[in-house]
Amino acid sequence: MNKQLFHIFRNTPLGRETFLQSLYFCSMTGVVPVVYIPEHTKFLMYFENDVVQIDLDESYLTGPETAERHAVELLEASGIKPLFLRPKHFTASTLPDIKTDFDFMCCPRSISDLSSKIGLGYIGPRVRRIVQSARFPVLLTSPVYKTWNSITIFFGGAQNAVNAFKLGLRISRKSGLPIDLFTRIESGNAETYRKALEKAGLKKELAENVRDWHFFDEGRFEDNLYEVPHDALVVLGAYGHGLIRDFVFGNKMERIQSTISNNMLIAGPKYTVNL
Amino acid sequence: MKLFKLWRYPSSWSVFRSDDRLLLILIAVIVGSCSGLAALALNRSLIAMFEWLHHLRGYWWAFLIPAAGAALSAVFLEKFVKEAAGHGVPEVIYSVSRYGGLLRMRSSFSRIISSCLTIGSGGSAGPEAPVVMSGAAIGSNIARFFALNDRQRVTLVGCGAAGAISSIFNAPIAGLVFTVEVILGEWSAVNIIPIAIASVAGTELSRLLQGNQIAFEHVRFHIAFIDIVACIGLAVLCAGTSVALTRLLKRMGRTAGAVTAPLWLKAAGGGCVVGLIGMVMPEVLGEGYHYIQDMIGGTFSTGLGFVALAVIAKMAATAFTLGWGGSGGIFAPCLVIGSLTGLVFHRALVVIWPQVDWVAEGCFALLGMAGLVSGMLQAPLTAIFLVVEISGGYEVILPLILVSAVSTALCHTLEPASYYLKELVERGHLLRPGTDARVLTDLSISELLETDCICVRQDMVLRDFIRILKQSHRNHFPVEDSQTGRFLGMIHLDDLRPHLFNPAIYDAVFLDQIMDRSVLTVNLDDDVSEVLRQMDVYNLFSMPVVSNGKYVGMVSKATFLDKYRKELMVQSNQ
Amino acid sequence: MKLELDEIARCLNLPTSTLDRWIRQGRIPVQKSGANCSFDAQLLKRWADSRNLPFALPAETGKSTAADKAPETLLTAMQRGGLHTGLAGTDAPMILREAASRVPGFAAPEKEELYETLLEREALTSTGMGKGVAIPHPRTPLTTTLEKPMIVTCYPQSPVDFKAIDARPVFVLFLLLSTSVKIHLHLLSKLAFCIRDNEFVGFLKTAPPADRLFSKFIELESRLEKSEIL
Repeated sequence: MNKQLFHIFRNTPLGRETFLQSLYFCSMTGVVPVVYIPEHTKFLMYFENDVVQIDLDESYLTGPETAERHAVELLEASGIKPLFLRPKHFTASTLPDIKTDFDFMCCPRSISDLSSKIGLGYIGPRVRRIVQSARFPVLLTSPVYKTWNSITIFFGGAQNAVNAFKLGLRISRKSGLPIDLFTRIESGNAETYRKALEKAGLKKELAENVRDWHFFDEGRFEDNLYEVPHDALVVLGAYGHGLIRDFVFGNKMERIQSTISNNMLIAGPKYTVNL
Repeated sequence: MKLFKLWRYPSSWSVFRSDDRLLLILIAVIVGSCSGLAALALNRSLIAMFEWLHHLRGYWWAFLIPAAGAALSAVFLEKFVKEAAGHGVPEVIYSVSRYGGLLRMRSSFSRIISSCLTIGSGGSAGPEAPVVMSGAAIGSNIARFFALNDRQRVTLVGCGAAGAISSIFNAPIAGLVFTVEVILGEWSAVNIIPIAIASVAGTELSRLLQGNQIAFEHVRFHIAFIDIVACIGLAVLCAGTSVALTRLLKRMGRTAGAVTAPLWLKAAGGGCVVGLIGMVMPEVLGEGYHYIQDMIGGTFSTGLGFVALAVIAKMAATAFTLGWGGSGGIFAPCLVIGSLTGLVFHRALVVIWPQVDWVAEGCFALLGMAGLVSGMLQAPLTAIFLVVEISGGYEVILPLILVSAVSTALCHTLEPASYYLKELVERGHLLRPGTDARVLTDLSISELLETDCICVRQDMVLRDFIRILKQSHRNHFPVEDSQTGRFLGMIHLDDLRPHLFNPAIYDAVFLDQIMDRSVLTVNLDDDVSEVLRQMDVYNLFSMPVVSNGKYVGMVSKATFLDKYRKELMVQSNQ
Repeated sequence: MKLELDEIARCLNLPTSTLDRWIRQGRIPVQKSGANCSFDAQLLKRWADSRNLPFALPAETGKSTAADKAPETLLTAMQRGGLHTGLAGTDAPMILREAASRVPGFAAPEKEELYETLLEREALTSTGMGKGVAIPHPRTPLTTTLEKPMIVTCYPQSPVDFKAIDARPVFVLFLLLSTSVKIHLHLLSKLAFCIRDNEFVGFLKTAPPADRLFSKFIELESRLEKSEIL
């Protein structure tokens, strides 16, 4: 069965950039995009243990007459068959329920705020909640459309990081692009992190598919980020578990996100992947 | 850190693993208290607001006060909290049916504030539905905090609702019965205990903070046999009033929906009309509990015509408040209209048969309340227990049961679904556990998928097909395009059977020529009930499932029966 | 007990998505964290029994019926049965009695029973396939007395009338003993295909010794498999 990526279409030039980025991701990984053209500014996503209300910016409702046509044009230009999502159930007359059994979801940096904030590195709280509850990874697109030619995985040693590695590995296999690993050493040394991957049974994959493994133990984190190639897809795991860790997670993610403008694929704590 | 993490997930503690009843009871206490607090908060603020605005009622512009309140509440809901207003109790039932009781966090406080604004300023609505909504949302979010599963979360939602009702009326049994009868819809032992505990918690909290007082003073009534006979007439009248009220509300809602104006303006408009009515007849404003007290005590303004007019006025006021965007419930207005109806009936009786020694009119007020609640909500048990508990009088129980039962039965014939459930039933969202609709909703096509059909290509000849036939177990073969892999059609063995043993044509027939291209297909995210309907209409026993142009499997009635039974056994055997 | 989600699904014979949904809805006593699940084996067994659901722990499902997955070949069956010559008898029942007595590994009462059921089958319709070959077999497969299927090849002293389809006397019998209907059909169809080959029948007439006969069968079977007819 084909994997699906959920994309909320915004019928504006900025929305076009985001959509093109989604379509590029889909064509590189063989995933089918499912497009939702919103008719109301709000919708609900019911996850396993949480219900998230997404309040879209008014700009998501611009030009309803031309929205579908524009979306179809862009889809056909990428050679993908158009597939639209029309909500079947409504919690209230203006509050559709969107299903959550997708395989990927594309969000701009912040769903609900002004376009100006997109460039400024701000992950809206909604997107964060989606990442925490969803079983699918979330693709945060860069502000303008740009292709990616390699995959950079941030490996922090925790279980989620291993998941992120597996995710990056899958994408690399589908797209045929090389993988770089980045680790900011927080405890132990490079060996500790290598052992973590080996313990998860990924020694062979590590040897075969990873091009380079960069370890950083000095300097500011933000400065280290310069080493991330500008044209890479960044894959990382979210560490969100308890309340305290949430707080920490927010900061680290924000730091990465506000320093580099690459496309980011974030695997939440509920994401599991089988190789 | 690990210990801290473990604390957040009590359902994984070994002591609770086999039987989570104790866990639910403990959390029920917390939920009941929190929702009880919320209910009390609303109650107090309503009283406070009423007193604060009281002295303003003398002015000529006093009719604008309800308008202002309704407009403020609409603005608050729409812009501030951004909660597209669902309708309180139906939204809770919808979530319990479909999503295991997941409710938004903001619902726990938003409705309290908005209904406080609407009702406090004079709008004719009840504080019960918002409080139920808040309690339910509190229960749901506490369940979310402890990462409980659907079944436990639904129980806690029930606990929240029960705690709220029990607290606001100081009536624990009514809270329990309302929750089980209306919200959950199933009387299962697993649920009742935690909900009962939550009711007790809510009531106890209310008694602690407000003192143990029943809502309406107890008045002794002496009921004779003739009164019991008259009750039947009262039940009929109540049923009629309920149906009229339901239809009026729906009509008003539809009219308001057709008008294009910003929400706050519509709410203000409705509020204006209410204010105007209120200037003429102040009894229609607010929830009206003090007027009920008068009616029970027999000190309400005299005159048959006056009360008849009051009934109509109150119905109109409620319709204008709720239909045009005000925030609140219909529970309290039902009680008021019910009492008024009781009074009308009694006064009419006195006029028609003055020689009979009827019981005091307060008794009929009580019975009228029960009649209207059981008619509107089609929940006779709730009505009975509520009236008994809020009036402290057990001696009215006989006529009470009679009125409730007859009223419910009559309303049910005219309106098959109660006010809360009507819209849900229409859209097919009322899914009580263990029912056919519920099982069909829970099952999905991907769970019914059978993948043991062998695929063939359209450029094969019959000889190749026969070779494949030897290894197959099914009678249908999906045909895929040899280059793109897209699904093209099906080969049905029934059509081929006569020709399979004719070796002469083995190399002369391509599958392309004999396949069925017009076969109906199913998508992975189709509704199971819809697929079954199609199978019935076209008399099919199996259908192929196609996703994005590619064949993924078959669904057939045979497997469906097996899965349906398993699902039903698991659902009803809790 | 800790297992992965899909392993538990296999134990309960359910699709993974159904199991996942039941865990989320709280209908099954299994706790999930990520892809691993933990449960109490006794409790789960009781739960499954009360709802009529099959439940088998992985140790038990492991030993599947892999043993009898490989299809029986003619060669192995024939080797087990062996080649027997010089059977005495002038008509079908006598030959059958002789053949039954030559079956290796059968005790006397079993041989008697076999003879009875061979006669039953012969009475229904002749097992002479034509061209002088007969394939007698018991009326129903011998599930209790037989462990593995075998073909007992017998050459009568002189050709016997079996009332075959083409009325020719039979010079060779293949006594076909199977443990199930499926295996019986499988071996029978293979044999029948071999007999269609006239050249092979001629070879049989020469009453070859055991090793040459078996190697001829090896050759025939590999030819059959290559042509994918069977």
